[in-house]
Amino acid sequence: MSLFWHYAPSLLSGFGVTILCWAAGGALGLMLGFAIALIRRLRLAPVNGLIRVFIEIFRGTPFLVQLFLLYAGGPSIGLRLSATAAGILGLALYSSAYFAEIFRAGFAAVPAGQIEAAVSVGMAPIDTMMRVMLPGALIAAVPSIVNMLIILSKETVVLSIITVPELMYQVQTMAAETFTAFDAIFGMAVFYWLLVEVVSRAGARIEARVTAYLAHQGAPA
Amino acid sequence: MIELAKVMKSFGAHPVLRGVDLSVQRSEVVCLIGPSGSGKSTLLRCVNFLEPYDSGEIRIDGRLIGYEDKRDGTRGRMRTRTLREMRREIGMVFQHFNLWPHMTALGNVAEPLRRVRGLAMREAADRAMAMLTRVGLAAKAGAYPSRLSGGQQQRVAIARALAMQPRLMLFDEPTSALDPELVGEVLEVMKSLAAEGMTMLVVTHEMGFAAHVAGRIAFIDEGRIIDEGPPAHVFHESAEPRVRQFLQTYHDRNAF
Repeated sequence: MSLFWHYAPSLLSGFGVTILCWAAGGALGLMLGFAIALIRRLRLAPVNGLIRVFIEIFRGTPFLVQLFLLYAGGPSIGLRLSATAAGILGLALYSSAYFAEIFRAGFAAVPAGQIEAAVSVGMAPIDTMMRVMLPGALIAAVPSIVNMLIILSKETVVLSIITVPELMYQVQTMAAETFTAFDAIFGMAVFYWLLVEVVSRAGARIEARVTAYLAHQGAPA
Repeated sequence: MIELAKVMKSFGAHPVLRGVDLSVQRSEVVCLIGPSGSGKSTLLRCVNFLEPYDSGEIRIDGRLIGYEDKRDGTRGRMRTRTLREMRREIGMVFQHFNLWPHMTALGNVAEPLRRVRGLAMREAADRAMAMLTRVGLAAKAGAYPSRLSGGQQQRVAIARALAMQPRLMLFDEPTSALDPELVGEVLEVMKSLAAEGMTMLVVTHEMGFAAHVAGRIAFIDEGRIIDEGPPAHVFHESAEPRVRQFLQTYHDRNAF
């Protein structure tokens, strides 16, 4: 236990970096994924082709590999990033592919009748999107978004490989210096579990709120 | 007010409307009845161009909807902006209400006023409240659709369409999705609208409503109007075997 006290400052800073990478990467990924889903709706064939390739690459390859390519290969295309910046960018790109799909499914989940109602009163496409489709799509997407954010919080450990000083990195350092691999990593597992617990409870509350008035929605068939 | 001439429409190789002629005068209530799959809902949806028709003409107050006939005789799609402007004058009520679930009853009615008519928040809310009062739902203004019964939801949907002050109203089986005991409240609202002189085109299976409120009934079968006239004629004197058979089935089912 005294070991943990001794390492508290570095563990705390690792915790801070983990939260930073997760929050920043997740937020950027959400924004990028949302933008991709919106652009896709314009149905421009060549653009959508590129988007499909982008999504397939980032969903079809391991995150670790993407991160290596970005950090080690980045400089050769003029992309010089600090480890943390590369980590955040990596998380953002990786998650954006998933978020784009989540938002696409969300838009598809908006009942056609709600859109027809907007069209039949003569609403402009932009208003139909902002006022009718978007809220419906977001409501439908919330559970999947929460799920993806949980997955992403655990993917942050991968950043330790490119020397981002996040929690895993600090724990490994501590373990290597003190030969207490099991205790340190077990402690970290508990920490992540607690983090996910907090996130999923918060997610469940948000879900309950946004779906509260949808619970009995829907006409009898 | 509504003029349909030789309207045709196919879904792929399947013809749904095979040359429909129909006219609805100002303040007239016309009910479209007929068997399922006869094309009556499709016909109604063509009137505000929610469903594009393939050929023929649908005119609202003399103006062709959905298409523009050019001088050289070819026909092109109407500009979407112009189509939107035409749709603003045509209220539509759907079988499944199609309320926006993330808005309250008041929000549902006020939203088109804000976005389409460009009213200020306050003014839109006032007019929406007046419309909800008219359909007897002032007390439910703050309720989300999920907290309303089917009949209440449909009355909100009617208020939403009415608030736009349309020149005519289309009803697509407005009571078909309702529990039987909730049908009456919706029909009452529609009756009062008819009494106020609203021009209405109604697809319905409510023969009682058709018999008592409609000025004219059009019977559709296999994409054609096979009989048309005042309710007394269609219900009691029709020479068309298909019409008699349909009504007989209806009588049998409802006589208990």
